[in-house]
Amino acid sequence: MTAPAIPALRTGPGYWWHSFVMMTRWEIVGLRLLLPITVFVQVLTGAGFVLGVGLFFGQVPPRAALFLSTGVIVITLATVGLVLGPQLIAAQKAEQTYDFIWSLPVPRSTAAAAWIVTNTIIAVPGMVMALVVANWRYDIDLRVSTLIIPGALLTLYTATMLGYAIAHTIKQPMLINLITQVTIFALTGFSPVNFPKEQLPGWLAALNEFLPLLHMANVMRAGLTDGIVSGLGRSYVVLGIWAVVATMVTAFVLRRRA
Amino acid sequence: MTDGSFRASDVTKSYDDGKTFANDRLTLHVEPGEVYGLLGPNGAGKTTLVKQAIGLLKPDSGTISLGPHDLIDDPDAARQLCSYLPQAQMPINSFKAHEAIKITGMIRGGSAAAVATRRDELIDALDIGEWRDTLGTKLSGGVKRLVGFAMVAVWPGRLVILDEPTNDVDPLRRRLLWDQVRRLGDEGVAVFLVTHNVLEAEKSVDRLAIIDEGRIFAEGTPSSLKLADRGRLRLQLMLVPRSATPELPAFVEDHTRVRNNLIAVIPEAEAAHGIGWAQELMGSGIAEEYALGATTLEDVYVRLTGDIAAKEPASS
Ligand SMILES: Nc1ncnc2c1ncn2[C@@H]1O[C@H](COP(=O)(O)OP(=O)(O)O)[C@@H](O)[C@H]1O
Ligand SMILES: [Mg+2]
Repeated sequence: MTAPAIPALRTGPGYWWHSFVMMTRWEIVGLRLLLPITVFVQVLTGAGFVLGVGLFFGQVPPRAALFLSTGVIVITLATVGLVLGPQLIAAQKAEQTYDFIWSLPVPRSTAAAAWIVTNTIIAVPGMVMALVVANWRYDIDLRVSTLIIPGALLTLYTATMLGYAIAHTIKQPMLINLITQVTIFALTGFSPVNFPKEQLPGWLAALNEFLPLLHMANVMRAGLTDGIVSGLGRSYVVLGIWAVVATMVTAFVLRRRA
Repeated sequence: MTDGSFRASDVTKSYDDGKTFANDRLTLHVEPGEVYGLLGPNGAGKTTLVKQAIGLLKPDSGTISLGPHDLIDDPDAARQLCSYLPQAQMPINSFKAHEAIKITGMIRGGSAAAVATRRDELIDALDIGEWRDTLGTKLSGGVKRLVGFAMVAVWPGRLVILDEPTNDVDPLRRRLLWDQVRRLGDEGVAVFLVTHNVLEAEKSVDRLAIIDEGRIFAEGTPSSLKLADRGRLRLQLMLVPRSATPELPAFVEDHTRVRNNLIAVIPEAEAAHGIGWAQELMGSGIAEEYALGATTLEDVYVRLTGDIAAKEPASS
């Protein structure tokens, strides 16, 4: 018999787009069982955090309330990208279902892009809910501007890509989970997200100038408030560098073969 | 070269900085339309080889190609041209069976309509219609395996790699699965099949290789591999657990012991003596059961892999 000829390989923007759409469908259907509960947990955490701190401190001064509420939103976004995402990937590795997904004939970048879309779907309801609750409970002076769009996108992108890079670099699922636990701890405890950086010891404040969290908080706040953010340009630059580094590391680890 | 054959040449792959050689200079080829079986015991290096073909692992040395494409240098080509059923379960817990098959086919480049038609054919052919709308979490291991096969076969590319496809599948549907494997071949796809189920493979493959400790020990069609065993019978004795291997009569040409199973190869002319010996062993409480039959590919397999194990004790 004459065998069918080897077909030409698919390339080009049409192939990329089709792969991206299909991978996004794959991820969203793949999270069907998990997505409602995950979104719900994100909503609860965001709202709970806002309310809880209020309970703890009793009367929250307006400036602190504004700082706190906008900080919670940053934490919600960063948690999805840096903690939840890697844990989902760790679960795939633990269940050994990773091989099939990575054997699918799509550009690696479409899998990453689909992952960002998925993380956005998980993160946005929690973020909106936290804002609504904060507004209702503290009657804060929120001034939402269009700056929130690049701010939220860059924050979510950077956090997601960092988490993605970590999860794909480390082989052991247990270790991935451990690292993400440490990350969330450092995130909430030692980064000036929920409080002004002046409250940190000098060296820690200086260190935070180079880490992404402070700058995520800055770009987000710039889109939600008026007049309390300074050094916005610098924050975009630092965060942009983190985004590029995370993307390069991801691109490298996704092409790597053992 | 524009032919569509799959070739692995001198593929060597070690783990743990060269302590384990999972593949040791493996060379083989699979032609379009051919179903090629790779048979070997656990740890033989089968999965390692197929993971290199699909670009999940990189060999230490050697080449793997499909037609004009170098699959090691170009893993994107490998993923487009080969579809792969991994040994591990498919990640379809939250997919309905029909969705998983269709989305995979579309990811592989099929149009929605063409994929849907082919999917429905496969669901019928594998007799899994009753689970069409069932979520992956609720599927039994065997049905999940069949859905996995359909995901891979629905838009197959030029080489289909199946790593232990029949695991957990019930005997009736296994036959249906083998029919579909055959059909892939008939459509001109090269099928590279990994299994340790020798008896099933014997009926379905065109050619096969027996692999152990990373090396190929025999290769050929099922009947050519059995040629050496023509004129002989297999006498299988189920020994009492943990008993010593009894002394063998002179007419036993070859034997292997796998746990309580003693398989003796005897000439056809000695059949009566063989039965007498087996009955004696049962009478004296050494054996519990026996069976005499034609040699099968399994005997060739056990003889070869058993020989290997006897010569070089397994390192693991
Ligand atoms: N990731 C790994 N790291 C170290 N050793 C491995 C790894 N994967 C497989 N091996 C070893 O390589 C050998 C071949 O394994 P594998 O290819 O899975 O065999 P098979 O699929 O034939 O059962 C075995 O000795 C196994 O223990
Ligand atoms: Mg295997």
